[in-house]
Amino acid sequence: MEVASLFHNLALGFSVAVSLQNLFWCLMGAIIGTAIGVLPGVGPVATMALLLPATYFLPADGALIMLAGIYYGAQYGGSTTSILVNLPGEASSVVTCLDGYQMARQGRAGPALAIAAIGSFFAGCVATIAIAVAAPPLTKLAQQFAPADYFSLMVLGLVFAVVLARGSILKALGMIFLGMLLGLVGTDVNTGNTRFTFGIGDLFDGIGFVPLVMGVFGIAEIMSNLTNAERRDLLSSKVSGLMPTKEDLKRSIAPVLRGTLLGGLLGVLPGGGAVLASFSAYTVEKRLSRTPEIFGTGAIEGVAAPESANNAAAQTSFIPMLTLGIPSNAVMAMMIGGMMIHGIIPGPQVMEQKPGLFWGMIASMWIGNLMLIVLNLPLIGIWVRMLLVPYRLLSIAILFFCCIGVYSLNNSANEVLFIAFFGVIGYLLMKLDCEPAPLLMGFLLGPMMEVYMRRAMLLSRGDPLVFLQRPLSLAFLLTAALLLLFIVLPNVRKVREVAFSE
Amino acid sequence: MRIKSGQDLATGLLFALVGAGGLWLGSDYPMGTAQRPGTGVLPYILSWCLIATGGLLWLKATLVEGPPMTSWAWRPVIMITLATVAFALLVDPYGLAVSMLVSMTLAALGTPETRWVEYALFAAIMLVLGIAMFIWGLGMPIQVLPKELSWR
Repeated sequence: MEVASLFHNLALGFSVAVSLQNLFWCLMGAIIGTAIGVLPGVGPVATMALLLPATYFLPADGALIMLAGIYYGAQYGGSTTSILVNLPGEASSVVTCLDGYQMARQGRAGPALAIAAIGSFFAGCVATIAIAVAAPPLTKLAQQFAPADYFSLMVLGLVFAVVLARGSILKALGMIFLGMLLGLVGTDVNTGNTRFTFGIGDLFDGIGFVPLVMGVFGIAEIMSNLTNAERRDLLSSKVSGLMPTKEDLKRSIAPVLRGTLLGGLLGVLPGGGAVLASFSAYTVEKRLSRTPEIFGTGAIEGVAAPESANNAAAQTSFIPMLTLGIPSNAVMAMMIGGMMIHGIIPGPQVMEQKPGLFWGMIASMWIGNLMLIVLNLPLIGIWVRMLLVPYRLLSIAILFFCCIGVYSLNNSANEVLFIAFFGVIGYLLMKLDCEPAPLLMGFLLGPMMEVYMRRAMLLSRGDPLVFLQRPLSLAFLLTAALLLLFIVLPNVRKVREVAFSE
Repeated sequence: MRIKSGQDLATGLLFALVGAGGLWLGSDYPMGTAQRPGTGVLPYILSWCLIATGGLLWLKATLVEGPPMTSWAWRPVIMITLATVAFALLVDPYGLAVSMLVSMTLAALGTPETRWVEYALFAAIMLVLGIAMFIWGLGMPIQVLPKELSWR
């Protein structure tokens, strides 16, 4: 029965995803994503923010399929730059540089790229099935959630985001509070009072998600990238001999499997996602290896594992977003933004009310992964040539696209002023070594939490104990408390620091 | 008391300041009742959380060795900000062409690496592409040229 409905659902999904239109949007997303992934300094979040206004003109399923394509396309593209130029196009491919670039220097760029692509494809396939299997039961569970449970789940999500954020825990915590506070700016829907608007009319509807993201991720990135003198050691634009040897393949099998599993699990956690997955997969491989000393000198395991892991995580991070309507990271926040533009409220009801959209998106991920493996390897020459565009020009183009993209949202020049403001804020936060991702999660979850908190309090007639009386809610809160307690223990902190310092 | 990490200190100060600002601005938001929490509840809680986090960071800055504040790269920060602001202020009254040119030139001034001949060529291409894509292609309601010069 379960298996039959799984096939039924996937068949429905594929019937939606293989329509000519959706195939086209999937391809567009994958291509744009790869291009973005290749270019250093332009992340998937900023790109998705940039293209969000454009998706307004597409049908809902096409828009989401394209946005998803950008995300996993960027994972693929990022690895190409890491291997060939020693410059991670994406944060999640930083570790790929370690061994990938060394392989390229030894003239084995081809096998490194091929293993990265094959590993990613395998991980993508597994993760797609994982989503299809996990989504229905999780959705059923979510439908039984009371407001108190939702509230506590979000607390847990934010705690995860703190624990899994890179760098200082205190800073991550502060960024979440800051984000939540920013999220409250505007009119309070329950009472009609305005909060923190300074009488500025444009703020009555709250701070726009797109201007915030584009400022903090787009403009601030440009500022910081222009500071760092550019150094690109492009090895060669010609990659010869793509085929990995039998030995390469044999050595990669286990790392790919482990990377996929680890990435798939970590991807589901809020605040986790692709970056954490690739870092941990690399660390695990190094620990398990009988020859840890070859890591960093061109070990193919060091490419296979993190590349599989980041792609698996990129995909499974859709699970909480699709089933619970909770963004687990900044990219998923963009996906939710995309859904809202089309009037879809993310949450457990999406699967029942719009099964075509839901399953179509999942099926399109598999198709997109297939497209990427076909697209990426033969087109590597073109991607590499894109790297020859110097950043001094690229930065101007990115800036222009940010400006016009935000302007086009509401044809409002004032929103462009906001990205200038948030750009400076973003740069300041970067200087203070504060990760912007927790800020974004707080920004999105803050207002949602307020809504659920109010509902829960109303239902319980003002008794705050409701959060401890419902078993689910209690379980979430206890887990959150344990996690926080755990992270304060010195041992765990040490492990965490090692995991991120690799 | 010696400051061991300028960065932590500055971050703590920022958090605490925003928190204090939130308390001050939110001081007259209604708190409502327990059954119907009002507008002011969450801002109040969050502001105190921010102040507490800032305080802890401050404490940490005096106890634990950490990174110092690094200097700002003023040139790109100022020029990129100006470029963005220029686009915002010029696009409605003077059209896309003028705002693009001014904004791109300001951005180009943001780095000493700019080569001006190359930039001129690039700017021309961007101008044509931008107008073709966004005004003729997507039909965005922006003028190309200032009203006085526009033939439309």
